Amino acid sequence: MSSQRLPTRAGELIDRSTSLSFTWNGRSFSGHEGDTIASALAAAGVEVFSRGMKYHRRRGILTADHWDPNLSVQVGDEPNVRAGSRRLVDGMQVSAQNAWPSLRWDLGTANQLVGRFLSAGFYYKTFMRPQFLWHNLYQRILRKFAPGGRVHWKTGTHGDYDKRYAHPDVLVAGGGPAGMAAALSAAEAGASVMLVEQEPELGGHLRWGGPDDLTVLADLREALYSTPGIEVLCDSIVTGRYDHNWVAVMQRSHPVVPERLIKARVGSLVVAPGLVERPYVFAGNDIPGVMLAGAVRRLINLWAVKPGSRAVVLSANAEGDAAVADLESAGVAVIAVLDARAGEDIVQVRGRGRVASVQTGDGRTLKADLLVTATGWSAPTSLLNMAGDRPVYDKVAARYFPQSLPDNVLATGGIEGDGSTAELAAHGRETGALAAQRALRLRHERRTQTARSVRPESTPPASVPDNRIPLRRSPHPECYRSTTHGLVDYSEDISSKDLIQAAGEGFDSIELMKRYTTVTMGPGQGKLETVNAAAVLAEVRALDLADIGTTVWRPPFSPVSLGALAGRIFEPVRRSALQDWHEANGATNLLAGQWVRPDHYGDPMAEATNVRENVGLIDVTPLGKLDLRGPDVANLLNLVYVNRWQKLEVGRVRYGAMVTEDGVVSDDGVTGRLADDHYLMTTTSSGAGAVWEMLEDWLQTYRPDWEVHVTPVTGGLTSINVAGPRSRDLLERLVEDVDLSADAFPYFSVRTGTVSGVQDCIIWRIGFTGELSYEIHVPSGYSLHVWESLVSSGSDLGVAPFGIEAQRILRLEKGHYIVGQDTDGLSKAPTAGLGGLVKLDKADTIGLPELRAAFERTDLPVLVGLQPDDPTIVPEEACQIVAAGSNEILGRVTSSRMSPTLERSICLAQVDPSLASAGTSVTVKLVDGRRITATVQEHHAHVDPEGARQRV
Amino acid sequence: MIVVPCPNCGPRNSSDLRNAGEVVARPDPATTSLTEWRSYLYLRENPAGWVTETWYCRSGCRRYFTIERNTSTNEIRESESS
Amino acid sequence: MSRHGYKYSAGRLLRHGLTRDAWPRMWRRPERRDSYDVVIIGGGLHGLATAYYLAQNHGITNVAVVDKGYIGGGGSGRNTAIVRSNYLTPEGVAFYDRSLHLYNTMATDLNLNVMLSRRGHLTLAHTDSALRTMNWRAEVNKLLDIDSAVIGPAEVKRLTPSLDVSPDTRYPILGALYHPPGGIVRHDAVVWGYARAADHLGVHLLQETEVFDIICDGGDGPDGKGSGGRVTGVRTSYGDIGSPVVVNCTAGWASLISNMAGVPLAITTHPLQAAVTEPCKVFLPTVVVSGSLHVYVSQTDRGELVFGASVDPVGSYRVNGTLEFTEELAGHVLELMPGISKMRLMRQWSGLCDMTPDYSPIMGYTSVEGYLVDVGWGTYGFKAGPVAGETMAETIATGRAADLIAPFTIDRFTAGDLVGEKGAAAVGH
Repeated sequence: MSSQRLPTRAGELIDRSTSLSFTWNGRSFSGHEGDTIASALAAAGVEVFSRGMKYHRRRGILTADHWDPNLSVQVGDEPNVRAGSRRLVDGMQVSAQNAWPSLRWDLGTANQLVGRFLSAGFYYKTFMRPQFLWHNLYQRILRKFAPGGRVHWKTGTHGDYDKRYAHPDVLVAGGGPAGMAAALSAAEAGASVMLVEQEPELGGHLRWGGPDDLTVLADLREALYSTPGIEVLCDSIVTGRYDHNWVAVMQRSHPVVPERLIKARVGSLVVAPGLVERPYVFAGNDIPGVMLAGAVRRLINLWAVKPGSRAVVLSANAEGDAAVADLESAGVAVIAVLDARAGEDIVQVRGRGRVASVQTGDGRTLKADLLVTATGWSAPTSLLNMAGDRPVYDKVAARYFPQSLPDNVLATGGIEGDGSTAELAAHGRETGALAAQRALRLRHERRTQTARSVRPESTPPASVPDNRIPLRRSPHPECYRSTTHGLVDYSEDISSKDLIQAAGEGFDSIELMKRYTTVTMGPGQGKLETVNAAAVLAEVRALDLADIGTTVWRPPFSPVSLGALAGRIFEPVRRSALQDWHEANGATNLLAGQWVRPDHYGDPMAEATNVRENVGLIDVTPLGKLDLRGPDVANLLNLVYVNRWQKLEVGRVRYGAMVTEDGVVSDDGVTGRLADDHYLMTTTSSGAGAVWEMLEDWLQTYRPDWEVHVTPVTGGLTSINVAGPRSRDLLERLVEDVDLSADAFPYFSVRTGTVSGVQDCIIWRIGFTGELSYEIHVPSGYSLHVWESLVSSGSDLGVAPFGIEAQRILRLEKGHYIVGQDTDGLSKAPTAGLGGLVKLDKADTIGLPELRAAFERTDLPVLVGLQPDDPTIVPEEACQIVAAGSNEILGRVTSSRMSPTLERSICLAQVDPSLASAGTSVTVKLVDGRRITATVQEHHAHVDPEGARQRV
Repeated sequence: MIVVPCPNCGPRNSSDLRNAGEVVARPDPATTSLTEWRSYLYLRENPAGWVTETWYCRSGCRRYFTIERNTSTNEIRESESS
Repeated sequence: MSRHGYKYSAGRLLRHGLTRDAWPRMWRRPERRDSYDVVIIGGGLHGLATAYYLAQNHGITNVAVVDKGYIGGGGSGRNTAIVRSNYLTPEGVAFYDRSLHLYNTMATDLNLNVMLSRRGHLTLAHTDSALRTMNWRAEVNKLLDIDSAVIGPAEVKRLTPSLDVSPDTRYPILGALYHPPGGIVRHDAVVWGYARAADHLGVHLLQETEVFDIICDGGDGPDGKGSGGRVTGVRTSYGDIGSPVVVNCTAGWASLISNMAGVPLAITTHPLQAAVTEPCKVFLPTVVVSGSLHVYVSQTDRGELVFGASVDPVGSYRVNGTLEFTEELAGHVLELMPGISKMRLMRQWSGLCDMTPDYSPIMGYTSVEGYLVDVGWGTYGFKAGPVAGETMAETIATGRAADLIAPFTIDRFTAGDLVGEKGAAAVGH
């Protein structure tokens, strides 16, 4: 390999005073600041960069830009890096991806020998039997041939990325002459502008043009950077346009994070991506040394790399002609220029690992190491597609053009038409002005829609019609395929022959052809391939290309890293004000929905026993709490709960259950009346948000005449349950202004008082654990003080904290069901045993007709208390209850624990109504397969069904 | 991310709100038949076009309001009943 | 020729490779008849499978499958190709197990390699309540002879090393429901296999033929539609086609098509999105699902990761996709596999899902004679395609609903007898 670096070029991007060292497949190389990985390697004489996916043929530079299908490389732990655009960084470790054991000696080339048998979709037609061999053998082999780089999943970087919101009036996608001009004129019209260019520098094709283009570029750049209101983002790609002009930009130029996703709410989106040069289909078109005109122009002018020594050029346009001039100026011998406009053509290229000869349409064979094609353009219409446009093919210009765009999306530059640099810039300027005008009108409209924003004083900007002078469409020959077959899709190794075969098999619409052959489904997503594929199909079906249609371009425009899409990790957890105390005192945590809370403090059984014998404290802050005020609260409660609420007196609390409109149990809790027009409602922890929203819904949309104000206070009040026979003794030491005696403060009552000096604590007497217990709702800022006072004041009473696990044991002993565990998505009120609670004679309650229907049914499952006959066996929760001699399912265990109080296993279970009466023996199938018997109990409660312990 | 105009908070990203679905009239539970009730529970117009629907300004003013949205295009316009 | 026409085999592949002879068409472009015995609306997996089984199992071959686009262009070609049978209810298990059974022998039955890969299906549990639901499913599955069990984090790690099973993550992996027979299949090949076989048996595939109306008479609604009426045919973009039996096998448009017969459906239509990354060397051996994180992922033989999620929260007929879907997806996938942050998402797409109130389909006869539905498939229609076709064919041929579809009748909503899959199917992939 010898150096191919040319003497200094006028517009070169490299800084020759720098030297960056890197490795390629383990060997040391160097390049300059400004080099791409590919240009540095090409300058060093590297010609082969990858291997084809299927046949593992050698691949060289084709387009020398971001879309080059042959330049995907592994850089360190990053797979599939575009070496055609990724700038070289000192110390990079670069390696080829699709070759084993090495790029030079790749065993995959064996596939070339059997290539004739590997036609499109061959895998659908064989390996059918024996059936098991597909997964066990054939598929394993196929999977070895998966292309692409290697994921280093042990070195994760999740969270190293960032996101940003932006609200530019005008976002311009593409920093070529038209895009730059559009940004300028939009800013001059008063719009805030974001200009996004995917290359690290502005200019588009001006960068590799002649001295005139470079002068225009310098002037535009100067104007852009000196005009206020324009933010320029280079090395960044507009990856998607979504409804309501929500635009995604992937910024790679951020100084700190590797990639940043910018989410922009854009007034007007100006799409100015230029054009993508299209490869030509002919035999040997993937041999290294076959390059597009743009590729050689970029290599020579931007990176001063000589692309070959003897060149043949097939030119259908000015880009090809300019390439000829560039090649000559770089000292490449141009031995033949074939003019496609005059019908000249090439037929085939031969060579092993590098072009050796070119066969022309008129039968000549030319010795050359470089074949340059300039056969036309594809319009990268992805963003326009995403905006709902279906671009149409123009036979004269031989490419696609936008058809109809929404008002907030405009196109300019090459995607709109042809013109000189000045004409493109002029169209860009007009487009920018129009975009700004529309965006400013929208900005004005949005401000007037926002009640609290500063109202714009001016009248809205006038609506201006689209009077832009369209760019012309220059005639261009339709060059898609020569008389030979070659590759259409380089990343997928799909040839024109494959496509013709597929069409012949019935896959003769573009979408079916895509699915069958996988053409356009590779990393480039059809940027280079789609039009050529459609052209082959048009040929087969003898249709005009315009009648074939193209596949729909889907986001993203260019692949986006998962890390950048994820951004920072934002999965918060909720912690009660006491959580630090719990963790400092030996709590083992449990994640319960959004909350992290103590599961236990070491020994849940002992914690439960301590509640039964002494007094325990549990932090139940996650309980949903809603402060309800107003004269109509009782009406609201009567509507949302199945039971009756009009007669709840001040100072009393009541249990309530909720169902949805279809009669399914949805939530439950206790609500207390604190004053005439003031209630506190509690909900399940997981239901807190939903119940709040549900109350607002009924109040706002169904009974707006009711006066009720709902305030969520779940986090504002820390909830502490003090439970156990000695709970009253403990509280009497700390509560100053409430008489706690049984007569003055009976079961199911509420008082407001001062606890350990903290005023306005709400105390209610309820009993989820089945013991005498008080639930104290303390303003959260003071709750640690109250908790610590309870702990320190009660040491002689045996006070100890208990966690969720102990609470679950206690509530199961007491037979309290948990919504969502002991009930499920089909459990109606009768299943949960709410027969005594539900009042069917109310005028209105949520789900009333379904409640009525449910109570007439006799086939609904029933929740029962259940005890295994062998008291040492605790059936796992979710164990099925089955018929004795078969696998017929008759119910399931919904909750189960070993009871420390009874020293036996206890359960709640949903069973078929035929099994629901007390004393029935049922069969439970354990997870390990054993079948045991268990007996249905009279009550849900296993301990103290009469409730004597909690009423003391 | 579509923009939904809240009557109080102005145009907001839809992630600030919750879509509560098509507006459906609720029969009077006292007089309705089960068939009518279950139509209310389960049957929706589900048009490919304009639908009147409820949104909840979850991260803003907490208001429930109705707008009309075209389910084929996501265009949004004010509802008669908002 | 085999019973499916031109037989595919390794030998044939070899011969074509040597002779370079062209392969025959997999299906014809048939001349449309004026009437058929059965017209099936929707040339996706369900419609094609129904047509195939009508012809294959019941000898009813005068059948047209009508599609406004190309075959397999809707949900059949947009899903994430997961198959499994570890459902929650006995009805669901029996139904999907039959489907998995048909998938098992499909490659030989249809003489087309559908690339069934029973690589194992993991449904992760991040909370104790999720773990309880997994246990519930496992226990029901075991009673019905489905290979399904709850496994712990260490076993999860052994099966899928790239998952982060450490206990200190935001969503720790507490265990998983492991279903070894679950896996993926090449979705397009399934469509083509049924299309090719049905075509060979005489079924007409009428592509690019849009149905504008279902022609009825005698019903209680306008134009003779609605309850008590009967179907006489369909009006298409190529004119009227007569048929005494019209089957609605569409997704996304099912309720609009059904309105053409005056039969309202309990359906709301939501987009369901999916995405795929650039290819990388294969490292993910199983199908991984996390209900809490609304994500499922598998790796294709080409090395791409295929992702799906739950349906979009806002109902619509939009299929252009959203950015927030990819953001949430990436965040959740990286919670599970933090190491793949440098993989790049290459393409996102959407399909339309017809969601029913109980996440179960609506199948069988309706109040209009001759009008049948096979709709409301939500996010799980692909898994059910073969059995849906088989049972719909039986239902049409015998005149009574097949046993397996009895729970899915259209009347269950008015009867208040919903199916209990909702809990398990919310992200039921």
